[in-house]
Amino acid sequence: MSALVRAELLKVRTTRGRWASLIVIVLITAIAAAGQVGSATDEERGTVEFMADLVGSVGLSGLLALILGITIVTTEFRHGTVTPTFLAAPRRELVIAGKSIATTIVALGFALLSLLIVAAVAFPWLTIVDASTEFDGEVATRLAQQFLAVVLSGLMGVAIGLVVHNQVAALVGTLVWIFVVENLLWGLFALLDIDRAVEYLPFRALDATGGGGGDQTLSYGPALVVSIVWIALLATAGTIRTRRRDIT
Amino acid sequence: MIEVEGLSKRFGKTQAVAGLSFRVEPGTITGFLGPNGAGKSTTLRSILGLVHPDAGSTTVLGVPYRELDRPLHRVGAVLEASEVHPGRSGRNHLRVQAAAAGLPVSRVEEVLALVELSAAAKRRVKGYSLGMRQRLGLATALLGDPEVLVLDEPANGLDPAGIRWLRDLLRSLAAEGRTILVSSHVLSEVAQTADRVVIIHRGALIQQASVAEVLAEAQGATRVRSPDAQRLHELLAAQGATVTEVGDGALAVDLAPERVGELAAANGVVLHELTVESATLEEVFLELTGGGTTE
Repeated sequence: MSALVRAELLKVRTTRGRWASLIVIVLITAIAAAGQVGSATDEERGTVEFMADLVGSVGLSGLLALILGITIVTTEFRHGTVTPTFLAAPRRELVIAGKSIATTIVALGFALLSLLIVAAVAFPWLTIVDASTEFDGEVATRLAQQFLAVVLSGLMGVAIGLVVHNQVAALVGTLVWIFVVENLLWGLFALLDIDRAVEYLPFRALDATGGGGGDQTLSYGPALVVSIVWIALLATAGTIRTRRRDIT
Repeated sequence: MIEVEGLSKRFGKTQAVAGLSFRVEPGTITGFLGPNGAGKSTTLRSILGLVHPDAGSTTVLGVPYRELDRPLHRVGAVLEASEVHPGRSGRNHLRVQAAAAGLPVSRVEEVLALVELSAAAKRRVKGYSLGMRQRLGLATALLGDPEVLVLDEPANGLDPAGIRWLRDLLRSLAAEGRTILVSSHVLSEVAQTADRVVIIHRGALIQQASVAEVLAEAQGATRVRSPDAQRLHELLAAQGATVTEVGDGALAVDLAPERVGELAAANGVVLHELTVESATLEEVFLELTGGGTTE
């Protein structure tokens, strides 16, 4: 098993696209952190809520983890590398487990990178403007929730990739689902007077695991459960599909 | 060593393989022949656990491929030259497979040297020629130093020097006692390297035999030339043989050359030529498969 995880991590490291994700993570978290520090008043900067929201920027790397999860599976089908992969490990569920573990490791790396960027942007700035910085358990909890949310996004990506092997369809379909379909369903649910159903949609639930709260979102515990159930359902369907597929 | 038993596989409307059975004996090079679309790749992919058969079974080294422990150490395969990530270097492609098989990185350099690809190892596969990709595929197959090799059209894309190199490599691998199953639609290749052939057409077995047997079975007529062709013709016809005049005083006879020679000597007929018209594997193959492809 550890051999398969090493092989998967090596695959991630040896293609150029991965460096692009790191650059995107650095840029979006730096911009988000700068925006939060810059737009806050001096009083707000001294609060625990401000610090919790600041570490919330780490969750932005979740989108990249999602894309990583989708591509770690679909790239194999796109380039036909699934053949050597399954020759090396003909029990396909072991490959899937290896990819899931590798995705978890890389997603944690993404989250850590985001955290470092947030710190690198926010702390010098806050020190220069002489703002007091507040930490307590709430900030630590929020940070842990963010890390878990990024990992869950990555695993959601793996599950989607296992169901939809075509890379373009999986990536475009996921983005369309997140930004269009879930919003349309929201409207539909409102018409049907079942507004709260929207909270159970996969990406709204996943979003709520970031711990940010907000309207029409589940509270943390239920959001975590609903997200895990979605991931488990997709992963199960995807594992069955992937095991049955003829690699021609 | 490799056993295929009653293998059938349908893709949509196409019956790719239909009740195919054959065996590959240990320590031999077996040519797996058939025209394009005969079901060779589907069969090889079934043997390797990549395709799920509708019926029948395949085993390698006595067990289904999926149940092999450390499969890359037992079986090496080259399927399509394109199954490499184009953005990855040749060396990194091998390092990924080596990692998955739990092999040391040093083994990567060994196989690169073996297929003479060390100089191009750090280039991205995108820039490789088809021949270089075939070499990379062979290097991948040889990583685990396997006792069984399954190669699907490994000569595709190789130039004449490359084909010669491949033939020598296969011979030296077989000399080390490995079992090799190599598919091809180019017979001259297989005739020169294989010990045995399995010929399939439209997904079914046509023949399974040694190369020598196939050629012997398809042995052509005896060709005999004599200044006294008329008399010889009569003598042969009197023996019940079918005789055809093929011009230039030569006759084609469906008798063994020994019988023709004895008959001529007994009757004092002078012979200028007595040969067996042996068919090439190419001709045998076309005859057995009806000459057409199924594409």
